[in-house]
Amino acid sequence: MPIFTLNINGRVWELESSGQAPLLDVLRDAAQLTGTKYGCGEGLCGACTVLVAGKPVKSCLMAISEVGEQPVETIEGLATARGLHPLQEAFLSHAAFQCGYCTPGMIMASKALLADIPNPTAQQIEERLEGHICRCGTYPRIVEAVQTAARATRAESSGNGGPRRG
Amino acid sequence: MAESRIFRLESEPHPGEAKRVYRRRTEFAPGTIEPERFELFETTRYSFVLNRRAFWRVAGAGILLTVCFPLHAQNQNAQEQTGGEARLPEEISSRFLFEESGEITGFTGKVELGQGSRTLLSQAIAEELFVPVARVKLVMGDTARVPDDGGTWASLTSPQTVPVVRAAAAFARGLFLAAAARTWSVKPADVRLLDGVLQGGAGQRMTLFDAAKIARENPPTSGVERAPVRPDEWKVLGQSVPPVRGREIVTGAAMYASDLRLPGMLFGAMVRGPHYKAKIERVRGADRLPASVQVVHDGDFLGVVAPDASTARAAAQTLGVVWDASVLVQEERLAEHFKETSRAPVFVKGARYPALIEKGDAYNGYFAAPRKLAATYTTAYVAHVPLETSSAIASWEGDRLTVHYGCQAPFLTMELLAKTFGIPEENVRVIASDTGSGFGGKQGGAVAVEAARLAREAGKPVKLCWTREDEFQANYFRPAALVEVRSGADVKGQIQAFDFHNYNSGASGLPIPYNFPNYYLGYHPANTPLRQGSYRALAAVANTFAREMHMEEWAAGMKEDSIAFRLRHIEDARLKEAILKGAERFGWGKGGSKPGMAQGMACTIEKDARLAFFVEVKAGGKDVNLLRALMVFDPGAVLNPDNLRNQITGNVIQATGPALYERIVWDDTHLRTRHLGQYRVPRFSDAPEIEVELIDRRGIPAAGAGESPNTVVAPAIAAAIRRATGIWLRDLPLLPALAKAIEAKPQGPARANQ
Repeated sequence: MPIFTLNINGRVWELESSGQAPLLDVLRDAAQLTGTKYGCGEGLCGACTVLVAGKPVKSCLMAISEVGEQPVETIEGLATARGLHPLQEAFLSHAAFQCGYCTPGMIMASKALLADIPNPTAQQIEERLEGHICRCGTYPRIVEAVQTAARATRAESSGNGGPRRG
Repeated sequence: MAESRIFRLESEPHPGEAKRVYRRRTEFAPGTIEPERFELFETTRYSFVLNRRAFWRVAGAGILLTVCFPLHAQNQNAQEQTGGEARLPEEISSRFLFEESGEITGFTGKVELGQGSRTLLSQAIAEELFVPVARVKLVMGDTARVPDDGGTWASLTSPQTVPVVRAAAAFARGLFLAAAARTWSVKPADVRLLDGVLQGGAGQRMTLFDAAKIARENPPTSGVERAPVRPDEWKVLGQSVPPVRGREIVTGAAMYASDLRLPGMLFGAMVRGPHYKAKIERVRGADRLPASVQVVHDGDFLGVVAPDASTARAAAQTLGVVWDASVLVQEERLAEHFKETSRAPVFVKGARYPALIEKGDAYNGYFAAPRKLAATYTTAYVAHVPLETSSAIASWEGDRLTVHYGCQAPFLTMELLAKTFGIPEENVRVIASDTGSGFGGKQGGAVAVEAARLAREAGKPVKLCWTREDEFQANYFRPAALVEVRSGADVKGQIQAFDFHNYNSGASGLPIPYNFPNYYLGYHPANTPLRQGSYRALAAVANTFAREMHMEEWAAGMKEDSIAFRLRHIEDARLKEAILKGAERFGWGKGGSKPGMAQGMACTIEKDARLAFFVEVKAGGKDVNLLRALMVFDPGAVLNPDNLRNQITGNVIQATGPALYERIVWDDTHLRTRHLGQYRVPRFSDAPEIEVELIDRRGIPAAGAGESPNTVVAPAIAAAIRRATGIWLRDLPLLPALAKAIEAKPQGPARANQ
């Protein structure tokens, strides 16, 4: 079987695979990064969202052969030695979850959103996250959390004169 | 193993334990017991102080205290019918482990599904033992380690488990104070407990761990203060303590059932075929599978085991099966079917949800009344769609079975597994994992049974995570309901007789908040074509929808305001207050100025909480937008305001799904709803702006709150749609009913005020 090289959260993984396996399975079972979740297997719930080359991707639908050299970023790669990412801090301070199963996907999609739109309106957040399901119904808190994180990120950027790493 | 440490909590039954306090006395296989196992065989030391009993043990590096209460004083409502057979724990107990590090571990049969039970119970322990919440840990839902305090259902954690834990922890505090006082030869009242340290007037200090050691060696039997902290003096309860596992959740470190892994574990997948109910005639294609795949075929059970998840799923799809499918009763015939197969309501004494509630003579009262109204209401089957599908890992050692399972009722699952595999309950250990929501859908144990069957064949641990399709095909649904209501009023429109019959969906929510002089409220069990079971608030949704819509139809018929009409039938002061507060804050009667916009409301008393819900909608053609909503919620004491607000808002949003569009569809032999793409659930844009007003009454015991908001959402929306469109909708979900009504012809209140 061919060998695939994946760059996940800055670490390089080599694995033998037919290439057909979805990225989600590789993340969860081979790399044991279980923060990325299975929800529906058809790209309709957003629980498996990771960033591939900075773009949000439903990892249940992407075969590892399609990933190539592009860097993959999962929820486990978000916090740094300096602490939690502003999105993580904001989800925490707003308690923007109940069971928390959708949270990693929501945070990863929000990270891509903030990279595109640093100052999103509530409606822009809803539109961009519409593909994500929170069965516990914490949507209003998630919108608030993303806006709080956006403010924190902007404050940080203006404070140190450059965009935040990552 | 997910858990590297296993405490063995019980050894020999103590002669003092006349009743069975714990359900479990599991022997673990060699190798899984801790080195300190021998310490555990020492005799229990215990003390009796009035009706409370304390058992002390050394467990690992800590001292374990078990507090038991005779049942009758604590809990008369533990019987729960929706979770299976009626069960009543013989005795309520709580357990705490005190460690030298100052950490306190509580052991509870409750599990965490996102409703906040882990945080609430941690708060209760911290409150009574005067320690910060951060120093409290919880072991939840491990049948070998926790007392059986019932499953996590029916919103019982706040009204039932929290008081027990508080009382037990308060008793523990009393024992510690007494032990310290005795050691220092002072009065217990002269000992203070501050931040987990006991302090005497002359500068003496003692940790809770040291006090536990002293109390274990020589249990205090007198001078033990037992009263929990008075609610008006709460420092931790009543506060918005953030979720204790929040950091794990936002970093992806939180482990759910589907994330767990055991050494040597294999992966399972089930083969269910296209039909909803079918027998297996033949299986073909096993020879085409890779050698690493094992097929497990036992009667109508068919599954595969493989080294990884992708291989298992592919193998399950490779197998060719000839099925003998059963034809299902069709939806068009469902109401008729329910009535044909129904059994009369039976009154069962002591039932938590009596199936028959009667006062006066509703039957003759109806016929004698000068004004009459009769209507029929229905609700569809709906799915829970927990975002984490049902998942379990099973492993066997000989005839001993251990199952990690993201479940709501570990002890029921334990019984189910024992029965299914013909082994004693003592041989089964169920370890509940935190799980990605349940909403009633994880009370059963089907996935655990399937994982265990696969693992027995494989001879290795097997993890089975249901696919989304499995979740639709193999789990149960919220029951469909047929509710027939007829009522009679005097000439002033004061309802005199109320005759209410629920077919198939259940008895919860039958009691009425109105002061009708004659009523008959009955639940008629019936046969169901689809598997059905528990769901958040279960039948209370259908029963509240039917009752509140019926009130709405009366109010309209009397040309009276919805609130005014209700108020003249309500005596409960708390419910009245909730409605009036809500009307004021929501601007009742002041909305709906634009075409298609209208307000609606509904109210209820559910599981002792008072609820008044208001909603404003915009209806245009066959579509309905929810603009804003307000829930006034009075649960008595509020244990954690922010968690409660989160629960209420979330429940309202979730409830809009079954209210407006969620429904299971099927044809002759197939479920037609088998993927998320075929089953719409509420998303970001579906959520209205929601305000929550809490009425906090510290002096009144906290009612459960995790599911009662579900009940009032649909009737309020339906009432608003009626005001916006003039169309009466009596079937849930409302959007298909609205489309049907528009396609037919506009209608007025049915047979109102004849």
